[in-house]
Amino acid sequence: MTRSFRAEMLKLRRRSVLIGAAAGAAAFALITSVAVLLSAEPATTGGPPGRGGPTLESLASSGGAVEAFSTGMSFLGILMLVLFIANFGGEFSQGTFRTLLMRQPHRMGLLAGKMAALLVFAGAVLAVAELLSIGASLALAPGQDIATSSWLTLDGAGEAASAYGSALLGVGAWATFGATLAVLLRSVPLALGIGIAWSGPIEHITMDVWSSAVQWFPGLLLESWAVGGTDDVSTGHAALLLSLYVVVAATVASLSFRRRDLAG
Amino acid sequence: MTHQPPTISLQGLSKRYGDHVAVDDLTIEVPPGVVAGFVGPNGAGKTTTMAMLLGLVTPTTGTGSVLGHPLEDPGAYLQRVGALIEGPAFYPRLTGAENLAVVATAGGHDHGQIGELLELVGLGARGEDRFRGYSMGMKQRLGIAAALLGDPDLLILDEPTNGLDPAGVHEMRGLIGRLADGRRTVFVSSHVLAELEQVCNWLVMIDHGTLVYEGPAADLLASSASAIVAVPEHDADLPRLERLLNAAGHDSEVAGGELVVTVNGSEPRGLAATINRTANAEGIVLVELGPVKTTLEDRYLAMVNGGDR
Repeated sequence: MTRSFRAEMLKLRRRSVLIGAAAGAAAFALITSVAVLLSAEPATTGGPPGRGGPTLESLASSGGAVEAFSTGMSFLGILMLVLFIANFGGEFSQGTFRTLLMRQPHRMGLLAGKMAALLVFAGAVLAVAELLSIGASLALAPGQDIATSSWLTLDGAGEAASAYGSALLGVGAWATFGATLAVLLRSVPLALGIGIAWSGPIEHITMDVWSSAVQWFPGLLLESWAVGGTDDVSTGHAALLLSLYVVVAATVASLSFRRRDLAG
Repeated sequence: MTHQPPTISLQGLSKRYGDHVAVDDLTIEVPPGVVAGFVGPNGAGKTTTMAMLLGLVTPTTGTGSVLGHPLEDPGAYLQRVGALIEGPAFYPRLTGAENLAVVATAGGHDHGQIGELLELVGLGARGEDRFRGYSMGMKQRLGIAAALLGDPDLLILDEPTNGLDPAGVHEMRGLIGRLADGRRTVFVSSHVLAELEQVCNWLVMIDHGTLVYEGPAADLLASSASAIVAVPEHDADLPRLERLLNAAGHDSEVAGGELVVTVNGSEPRGLAATINRTANAEGIVLVELGPVKTTLEDRYLAMVNGGDR
């Protein structure tokens, strides 16, 4: 697992990848901060258009510094799914899993090491994105008359850590689902098609005709998780069920990867 | 050589995909230090067999060992095995050197040998170029370099000349020859038999997943002089010599300005002498007389088609 982790890290540590990730994190921080802070309105007016977005009051609270980051993260789930499907599926379509397994034949170790490296990298990018987002929010707040005094407090740091942890767990779940689809289907287009269709239209259309779907479907649970829970789904319920789904997905992917042939 | 434990030993190895039998009860032994050609047409089961040796495919039945370790435990021997199977598979956005670094890291091998290996396979000047920009020949050579990481005792190369132009094939053949230094065992497959004939001293021939021949290449070719060619000074003598030899109980026919006399169990030298005496007795002067050189392809086809196993 360690060798596999280090091999994956070699790919991720390349300059082009680091620059791309940093640029993506910066763009994410800037866009979400601008969108959230500039659209925020007083709670008395009902907040910004749409469902329950941040208000000027919530932005002035200790968690205001990471409102933009958390709001932005709720839209990134599908992107994570796509990235992990592309990464794991690409290993099959390029034949590189075969190349690696001839050098590191312990399949579970290979899969776990690769996943761990990708999650560590994703965690680092998330941390950078959060810091940049906080910086952008600090820069934009005075223009919107948002007080930032409570942001740089211990409570503010706690809110930032909590937002980061929540984002990381969400990314971990999307990553597991993406990797599982790729490992099972071994085809990037097929896995992308099924993954996007399921977590997008299928879950939402089902929710329209069966409201309880929001309490059971993984994509909908992840959406609830990303916004810190909803009236219908508590964070505890989402966490419990998502943990179960992640464990099942990881087990299925591991068994499939361990048992199925990779050539011939 | 053959007294040492075999590098590869398979006993009754089979692989089935539903109703399709890719490898059928294959039992082979490859001694250490040889360049073993793994011969068979497309679909004969070569790649599947190699994949089973490399732990990529699980056999349906049968057992075996590689470098003294059981097939069921590829982790015990793959550290000493280098392989190129189903074509070179690398990350297109990474350079050749970066790809080798990833593979070396996965295998726990020293990165210090990467430059040397790139030089060995003729990619020293292109190591920093991205893999996706490589020609087919360069990709194959990078695959060989990756297989050589860790200085393996066994090299398994699956169709290493696939997709190469004639110059590339020649170059690859030379490279394989250089890699076989007597200490290392090379197990190389190809469906182009002429490629293997020139570099292999051991042969494993299969067809439809079953063994056709296994043993020294020289033994196979030496046992196989199939015909003697006789060329008279004058073309007009060809039919006459043909009649004379056929009347004497030999099987001969005129083809392309020469007379081809089938050996048919005779001793080739003795048959050549008989032809010479017969011609001489009739005043026919021969300007050429000798055995038809049997190629590996001829022998393979004879064995597969004639059931000569």
